[in-house]
Amino acid sequence: MSLGGRDAADGTVLLVDDEEMVVTAIEGFLELETSYRVLSFTSPERALEAIAEERPEAILADFLMPGMDGIQLLERVRAVDPTATRILLTGYADRDNAIRAINRVGLYHYMEKPWDNEHLKLVIRNGVERSWLFRQLDERLEELESANEELHEIRRRLVRTFL
Amino acid sequence: MTALGVAGLVVGGAALVALGVDAGRRMAGRRLHRPDDRCRSLEREARELREECRELRASYAELQRSEAEQVNDARLTSVGSLVAGVAHEMNTPLGSLHAGHDTFRRALDRLQAILADERVDPEELEEVRRIVRAVDRIARTQDLAFERLTHIVGELRTFGRPDDAEISVVDLHDGLESTLTVLGHELGDRIAVERRYGELPPVECHPHRLNQVFLNLLSNAIRAIDGPGTIVVATESAAGEVTVTVGDSGVGIPEEHLPKIFDAGFTTRKERKGMGLGLLISQQIVHQHGGRIEVESRPGEGSTFRVRLPVRMQARTASDPGGSGAGTSGSSADPSETAGAAREARP
Repeated sequence: MSLGGRDAADGTVLLVDDEEMVVTAIEGFLELETSYRVLSFTSPERALEAIAEERPEAILADFLMPGMDGIQLLERVRAVDPTATRILLTGYADRDNAIRAINRVGLYHYMEKPWDNEHLKLVIRNGVERSWLFRQLDERLEELESANEELHEIRRRLVRTFL
Repeated sequence: MTALGVAGLVVGGAALVALGVDAGRRMAGRRLHRPDDRCRSLEREARELREECRELRASYAELQRSEAEQVNDARLTSVGSLVAGVAHEMNTPLGSLHAGHDTFRRALDRLQAILADERVDPEELEEVRRIVRAVDRIARTQDLAFERLTHIVGELRTFGRPDDAEISVVDLHDGLESTLTVLGHELGDRIAVERRYGELPPVECHPHRLNQVFLNLLSNAIRAIDGPGTIVVATESAAGEVTVTVGDSGVGIPEEHLPKIFDAGFTTRKERKGMGLGLLISQQIVHQHGGRIEVESRPGEGSTFRVRLPVRMQARTASDPGGSGAGTSGSSADPSETAGAAREARP
């Protein structure tokens, strides 16, 4: 699918789960089935640093992690980059707690463990596309604003020249 | 004496004898009649007593059964908690293996598709490389997941069966760690565990039973904490005795409850999941080891349970931990307070 010269399969996905086996399982699957660049972390703090630098389109975070839980992490992601799609991965036992926090973070989706690979692919694909569209919209708005700014400048100059 | 006189005497005598026999018979009849009544009433009473006795025996047996059931319930609850813990621990490796297996299958399908024409085109080579990278990640998942599952099974072995009567010389820290592992899902991120482990000599004990004590004390500590909190697990040893302390930052125990906490059926848990036997069983197990449990508590600040155990088990061979018919060997012939409970409840 082509979106303004960009392939929808391009994009960066960031994974955070304190369990390395979960991270490698998702990484392996995305490696095989998609052409996204995948950044993975087992530490939420390290993930936050990378998010600011790499600006991934989709972020998939585990809920229960030591130090900072997935909700807290995604809350901070929203502050850093609101256009990144935020997806929460929750264990069955944490479901209720996670649902309570979902509205606070403005989640795009939450997935329960154990996850279904096909469903995960769909959610990530849609999430990446959604983020890309948001960013496109942001760019267009900025372009419009600067065009508007330019128009104002021209108008000011015209007024100065002729009046 | 004349013959007539003799005959008269004889007749008279016979008449007298007959009279006497008759009177005696009548008297005897009266005498026999009264004890008969009493016998019957005694028999009736005996029947009633036997009936009451039978009823009492039945209700005693019923009581014994229900006590055994309660102890069993308490055990099942700890088994249930163990199973829940293990199930939770297994979720992550199983989920990862499941997803990894799906990827593995997909990778295999792709490789087969590429090899269907018996050759690998240069443009297919990049695809093969990608498949190899994916499978490599899945291999890592499998390594980690199998390692974890093996670890869980190992922990279960350490935890062992509660009925195992084996005596061995162990490091109590191992048992504490296994117990903390199986309770991991209940601790979550909500409760921090602070370990203040001292140097402990190897302790002669029934390790699996002591694990049950640790499980009971730690479960109580977890349930005493509402919201976030801390559990301190401390160990120390001095003069042939070791002390394991479990302290919580929970709600504490009101002073009026303190004397009752080791009683059967005492619980403040509304759901009454544990039948309130956890501490009773723990105390009995500790007594069997020649040790004791002490408790300190301040409402609003938390409770501290101290298990003091001799390094060498004192000459007690009591091996019925719950004082229940569900125990194993029941070789308890010792005169301690635990023997009483064990004896009463033996089937």
